[in-house]
Amino acid sequence: MEKFSLLGKDMKRIDTAAKATGEAIFSADLSLPRMLIGKALRSPYPHARIVAIDTSKAERLPGVKAVITAKDMCGDRWGVFRYTQDQQFLPTEKVRYVGEEVAAVAAIDEDTALQALTLIDVQYEALPSVFTIDDAIAAGAPQLHDAYPNNINVHVKIDVGDIEKGFNESYLVREDTFSAPEDAYFQGEPYAVVAQFDQAGNLEIWMPNAGPHMKAKPLSNVLKIPLNKVRVRKITIGGAFGGRSEISPADVICAFLARKAHRPVKIVYTREENTVATRQAHALVTKIKTGVDREGKVLARDITCHMDGGAYSSTGPIATSVPFLCMEQAYRMDNVRYNGYRILTNKPIRGMFRVHGRAFACGVDIQLDMIGAALGIDPLTMRLRNARQTGDYTPTKSYVASCGMTESIVKAGEKSEWKEKFGKLPPYHGIGIGCNSVQTGFPMGIRGGSQAFIKLNEDGGITVITGIVDNGQGNDNMVVQIAAEELGLTPDDIQLINADTEVAPSDPGSYAMCSTFIGGNAVRLAARDVKQKLFKIVAGEFGVGEDELTARDRKIFVTENPEKAMSIAKAVRIALSRNESISGEGSYWPNVDPKREWVKNPYGQLSETFSFGTVIAEVKVDPETGQVEVLEVTAAQDVGFALNPQVIEGQFEGGVAMGGQGGMLSEFLQWHEGRVLNPTQFGYLVPLAIDMPKINNIIVETIDPKGPYGAKEAGMSVAMSAAQAYCGAISNAVGVYFHDYPITPDKIVKAIEKKKKRENTKVPG
Amino acid sequence: MKEMKRYSLTLTVNNETHAVVTPPNRTLLEVLRDDLQLTGTKEGCGEGACGSCTVLVDGQPVRSCLTLAVAMEGRKITTIEGLAQGGQLHPIQAAFVEHHAIQCGFCSPGMILTVQALLNDNPTPAEGEIRRAISGNVCRCTGYAKIVKAVQSLAGEGR
Repeated sequence: MEKFSLLGKDMKRIDTAAKATGEAIFSADLSLPRMLIGKALRSPYPHARIVAIDTSKAERLPGVKAVITAKDMCGDRWGVFRYTQDQQFLPTEKVRYVGEEVAAVAAIDEDTALQALTLIDVQYEALPSVFTIDDAIAAGAPQLHDAYPNNINVHVKIDVGDIEKGFNESYLVREDTFSAPEDAYFQGEPYAVVAQFDQAGNLEIWMPNAGPHMKAKPLSNVLKIPLNKVRVRKITIGGAFGGRSEISPADVICAFLARKAHRPVKIVYTREENTVATRQAHALVTKIKTGVDREGKVLARDITCHMDGGAYSSTGPIATSVPFLCMEQAYRMDNVRYNGYRILTNKPIRGMFRVHGRAFACGVDIQLDMIGAALGIDPLTMRLRNARQTGDYTPTKSYVASCGMTESIVKAGEKSEWKEKFGKLPPYHGIGIGCNSVQTGFPMGIRGGSQAFIKLNEDGGITVITGIVDNGQGNDNMVVQIAAEELGLTPDDIQLINADTEVAPSDPGSYAMCSTFIGGNAVRLAARDVKQKLFKIVAGEFGVGEDELTARDRKIFVTENPEKAMSIAKAVRIALSRNESISGEGSYWPNVDPKREWVKNPYGQLSETFSFGTVIAEVKVDPETGQVEVLEVTAAQDVGFALNPQVIEGQFEGGVAMGGQGGMLSEFLQWHEGRVLNPTQFGYLVPLAIDMPKINNIIVETIDPKGPYGAKEAGMSVAMSAAQAYCGAISNAVGVYFHDYPITPDKIVKAIEKKKKRENTKVPG
Repeated sequence: MKEMKRYSLTLTVNNETHAVVTPPNRTLLEVLRDDLQLTGTKEGCGEGACGSCTVLVDGQPVRSCLTLAVAMEGRKITTIEGLAQGGQLHPIQAAFVEHHAIQCGFCSPGMILTVQALLNDNPTPAEGEIRRAISGNVCRCTGYAKIVKAVQSLAGEGR
């Protein structure tokens, strides 16, 4: 008998037929009786005091049913952490970026709502603004918030070992600076919210989210209603990539409009609003100093990183830490210091992004290439000599229970024929490698664990209830796959109720790559709870031990004698007739250090386990135009155990597209005085099908001791390594190391010209 | 606000006729979604860049967000809801499901209809032809590999 009937092999996702037919309902597709359309008035100033707001004309416009300003709210400030509560959903005193919400209307149709916005008279007193990291921290710079002197929002300081000693003992030390502007999430689905209140004061609300409970709590706080009156409902979600994690002003505004108008309200963002007024990814400047021994082993590393956080904290302490943490997980080093600063500017708010911090990860990796070149060691060997290993502790004291870093490097190297190609490719051809590691969950306070329930029907079918949410990555399917496997049922026997705060128990959401590990474990334990109860009944009937039984094909049978079997339906009916409970409960709390805190105490177990990945890219550069043709990409990742291999491949391929093809070649936001110049697809170039190279996927399995069936995060380490591989390959092709990303054709042409000039001047000497 | 003149027209969508009364400035996308409740057609950008709103007009892929509804009188419109017949997935839809060509699903309706138009014109497209044909449809999740594979599986059958 095969070990698993459903796991480890291809399973068609349960949610995709509805998506293929148009049956799947996204937030903007919802329509409720008497529903109004909501619109937000946005600040045209990057920084201004709000002197007065007159909404009387807008209120008198026929068809307008509600107008709200900060006066309708209690002035509450939202923050992911207690110490970052700085964002009002409608500001009382001043606006801090172009596009910040100032007021909102709900009207019978969109045209009326838009006209009403033009009738709201806001008097602003413009204030001096800052748009760059350097300007924001300069002496005498305009200050965004009183709470953050010098516009320093977050300072994360990590210091492990003795870096001075490490540098002194180093054979070679290099210091380089790397930078990249902001990138955009560009989820397929623009943000949308629908909200309605009933007569009892219960809120029902639908929106894209990465954790319904993460939305419900702040809504409860700001609306001053208990959590059981906030019902965040399940809805199909068109991508998140880290950008749907927090409460959005749109959620709060929609709820306040619905409460004031006594009618349902829908807000649908334009593409431009989605780019400007949800979240963006940080711009980064990273200074990296690395010391190595003669063999290229890193002895000391000192990194200072400045991130442009925009106008508010958002997930600031996490965002400031994560690029460093990924690096310290991926590579060994005894002595390391990190100073991460998140700086506030008068630009839209930045959050965590699936490919967060390209100027950090690329800097670390491309500097390894530079050091390797000086030592005569090729980039792949440099990675192998510094790769994290199972059983290690990271510098900030996380135990690494399973690690396939080396295996991912070796296998990606073999598949891409690294040895045959590196240094042997024709002119303007290049090959590059990137490695990284990501977390499988963070310490998340009260929301750190997940719970699941299972209800059985008398015909043997079940309903699984969990808070896990699916943003498109296949989490719904993962839940069903695990429950079906554990109970010996088919996916068709299972109904799923999830991502609905009225019924689903607590769950961290799809935040921090933890759904499979934490939520999946909870579902597995709930299924085991049910199984034990059923086994007890069957064991009694058959006169065998519970440990002698197996559940498969809707039956429970004696493992050594499969003829001796009882249908699950019959076992359920016996339980019902005996008045025995057979519903199941499971909960999983990850083994992370609760005392670890992003700023105050960045030491201790960060995540129960980590994933590790390698990407190798091969490119051809046109020296005349600077155009990059990507010939082939190989993506390898340690996923613990592949529950559904093709779903994981899809994550790898999407990660290469976003992190490498888009992140290193074309994606960046352009600015003029705090205004985004390219908020739509015409100016912000996301990869198309013709752009994408052939991708080889390599799934590495290390069977994590605590992951469900050994599984852990599956795809993010590829997404976080792709940019480095592209960068390394282009640098290898051109013979110049790039420090500023993305590497657009103009930068390549300039680099080639500069190199030629340098070589020409050398010749006479 | 001045009332705009309203036009009466007959739209043929998925082989059904619908009497629609609309001001002339409304797009086919708006009429499909708001008047006919055909919400399978998505709005991703509203300016013809992303392809999520693709429908077929007389068999050709068209951006419904850039198409005025009043210009559609007498044309044959197919939306994603018109593809599956008798509760059975259309072969393109089945191939997308089978080959994991769908993740979040927001681009899928437009992508599938674009593929339908491609295969109508060219039942056995080569990989490059597939990639070019779907390059007016942005997918942020998949990196396109599995979409191309799904289409190739259908192109193979045609050979």
